[in-house]
Amino acid sequence: MKPTLLKMSNIFKSYPGVKAVNDVSIDLYAGEVLGLMGENGAGKSTLIKLLAGAEILDSGEIYIEENKLDIDSPSAAQENGIGVIHQELITMDTLSVAENIFVGQLPINKKTRLIDWKSAYKKSSDVLALLNSDIDPKSTVGTLSIYEKQIVEVAKAIHKNTKILIMDEPTAALSEKDSKSLFEVITRLSKQGVGIIYISHRIEEVFNITDRITVMRDGKLIGTKPTKGTKQKEIISMMIGRDLNEFFPEIKSEKKEVMLKVTNLNIDGIIENINFEVKKGEIVGLFGLVGSGCLNIARSLIGIDEIDQGEIYINGKETSIKNPKNAMQNKIGFIPIDRKHEGLTLDFSVKHNLSLQSLERLGSGFLVQESIENSMAEKWVKKLEIKTPNIDVQVKNLSGGNQQKIVLGKTLETNPEILIVIEPTRGVDVGAKMDIYKMLEKLCKEGVAIVLVSTDVPEILSISHRVLVISTGKIRKEFAKGEANQQELLYEASLN
Amino acid sequence: MKVIGTKITTNTSLFLFLGFLVILFSFTSEHFLSPYNITSLLTNISYSGIAAIVLTLVMISRGLDISIGGVIGLTTVVVSALYSQSDPLPIWLILTIGLGVGAVVGLINGWCITVLDMDPIITTLGAMAITRGLAYVISDSQSILMFEETTDFISNGVIFNVPIPILLFMLTALIFSIVLHKSKFGRSIYAIGANEVSASLSGISVNKTKMILYVLTGIAASVSGIILLGQTSVGMPQHGIGAELEVITAVLLGGTALSGGKGTIYGTIAGVLILGVLFNGLTISGVRYVHLQIFQGLLLLVAVATYEIKTRNEVAR
Repeated sequence: MKPTLLKMSNIFKSYPGVKAVNDVSIDLYAGEVLGLMGENGAGKSTLIKLLAGAEILDSGEIYIEENKLDIDSPSAAQENGIGVIHQELITMDTLSVAENIFVGQLPINKKTRLIDWKSAYKKSSDVLALLNSDIDPKSTVGTLSIYEKQIVEVAKAIHKNTKILIMDEPTAALSEKDSKSLFEVITRLSKQGVGIIYISHRIEEVFNITDRITVMRDGKLIGTKPTKGTKQKEIISMMIGRDLNEFFPEIKSEKKEVMLKVTNLNIDGIIENINFEVKKGEIVGLFGLVGSGCLNIARSLIGIDEIDQGEIYINGKETSIKNPKNAMQNKIGFIPIDRKHEGLTLDFSVKHNLSLQSLERLGSGFLVQESIENSMAEKWVKKLEIKTPNIDVQVKNLSGGNQQKIVLGKTLETNPEILIVIEPTRGVDVGAKMDIYKMLEKLCKEGVAIVLVSTDVPEILSISHRVLVISTGKIRKEFAKGEANQQELLYEASLN
Repeated sequence: MKVIGTKITTNTSLFLFLGFLVILFSFTSEHFLSPYNITSLLTNISYSGIAAIVLTLVMISRGLDISIGGVIGLTTVVVSALYSQSDPLPIWLILTIGLGVGAVVGLINGWCITVLDMDPIITTLGAMAITRGLAYVISDSQSILMFEETTDFISNGVIFNVPIPILLFMLTALIFSIVLHKSKFGRSIYAIGANEVSASLSGISVNKTKMILYVLTGIAASVSGIILLGQTSVGMPQHGIGAELEVITAVLLGGTALSGGKGTIYGTIAGVLILGVLFNGLTISGVRYVHLQIFQGLLLLVAVATYEIKTRNEVAR
């Protein structure tokens, strides 16, 4: 048996309204690649943040090589040999490779007290050589390919005696060939005794490179299995649980008229030849992994991402949508992915948020008529069962679920005929989830055409009437309701 | 309402501080509370107060305008130069052109800040240098005397015993407190300052709103310039030097956040009054002008520090 590198035991971490990590214990052995899997919101990222010092745990213990540690800052994590490669690359593009690798720790010449560039470049080359890479340490990172940047990130994470390397979706933006090269690097590192925690949604690659797989769901540890001898199916059902299906309401679509039609949509290098239509009262799901182009399709429908080619028809009429205001005028509503930064004005009160998209309806003249605003807010608080002490509370004080309901109410107040919904239940508790699904069901009945972008597999399969699978900017497959299971969906989405 | 609650406490403490200053100076100088001094104090603050009121809106939208002093100088020069022509245009047209100076500068500022996405500080710093420079060029660095009835009336006239600049200040404050606190446009300003992305996604025309605000600030600066011209009967390029500092200090002192989204007209009025009382009181208590500058700088730093400490405490909670 290999020695235990890392032991996390009985870890708890809560945010207001959510138990993000709930009594989780994991071990990592030296030279092992441990896959960490789970749906969005399962708690993987939080667990990793606790280990990397980006968040502080509520309770629980972390041991590295038998020593109990208090990881209370990113630097404490680094000093204890924990390196992290984040999902989004955080390279400093205007600086050189060496400066990126040794950020904050460039070698200093003892005599002059200035940076010893010669040694910095030499050391950088050494680290890069370990990774089988011949990137010039003097080159500017901005000029490198995504794969090379990824390698720079790895070099940055491992250059100082890193024993534990955490990789969060490292292949999300890589081509198949580059992914393979990265796997070689991972194998190399593990042979040198580095323990690697590998997070990915791509089941195939997790099965290819890991020794064991740990699955989390709803903040809890579901189990850890040796990769050899375990079937992909088993892992998937551990990830999603079996009882989830009954959780989703059956949403019927009865109407026939096409409300939204998109033809030959192109954004150079991002999405290619996208064609689909959405009928009144229909929910069409767009499913894709990170970087697939799903988000861009959604954003182009409300005029945030500019399209290079293609037409959008609303109610049979060709319409060009230049900006969100324009989308609103065309009766397109939008639930953005990030409620805190895009959906809400956190310092505003509940009522000011609910009315923000409908200011022109707060009275006929120049002034806001407060009675209209108050009744508008009261109406949505009641309709969506928003739990708030009153409508004058700042939304930053509410839970994620209630905040999300406000985003929904704010958009619905504009009476959209088409609704673009992105990740409507991310980071939302179960009760609020149900309320949001109920609202979507009601909107369907009223004839609203809904485009749902979600990476929550059970959600998208259960509430969409059709699911379009997007990968590398193209529609790969269309599943009617009930036609695909979760495995197939994930499989199609991971194809290049 | 929690937001209003904090507003009231901030403003109450400002007015308490104002009261404290008034009591303090009434002891240090017997002239401080004389009707003549109070009138002169209020008249003096009116000119920067008008600009401060409008700048409050810009700063709530997370912008800034430091070209105010330059616009003041340029306006006095343009108006007095036009009037000193041998066959001058009618005065109403000259004054309209004077206001147009501020409007054009504001339009250019707004265009650079929105369309070109330039930083407001740098943009208006450039505009400050350009306007001041233009004032020197147009006036040939000379003072241009202007004795004219209308401007004299605007600056020195009284209605019901109240000097007109004070009335103008009160009117500006009233109009813009309604605009900011009661109107849909005002709501958009707060929304833009608090979260521009969500404001834009909510269908608010962010660029148009900002553009209007910079034009309004420019016009307000020109109004200040015209008042100053009437008070001094002379247009000169040095007019309004340091006015931006005075105006920004007053707005920050009044509790408007540099980070946008927070601030009130009442707060700014308190800020303007505190600044005016402090200067007037120190002056008549015998403090020299050069020393006042130091006080002004300190006050600006204290205002910002208070705000930072307050936000830090809020975050900690």
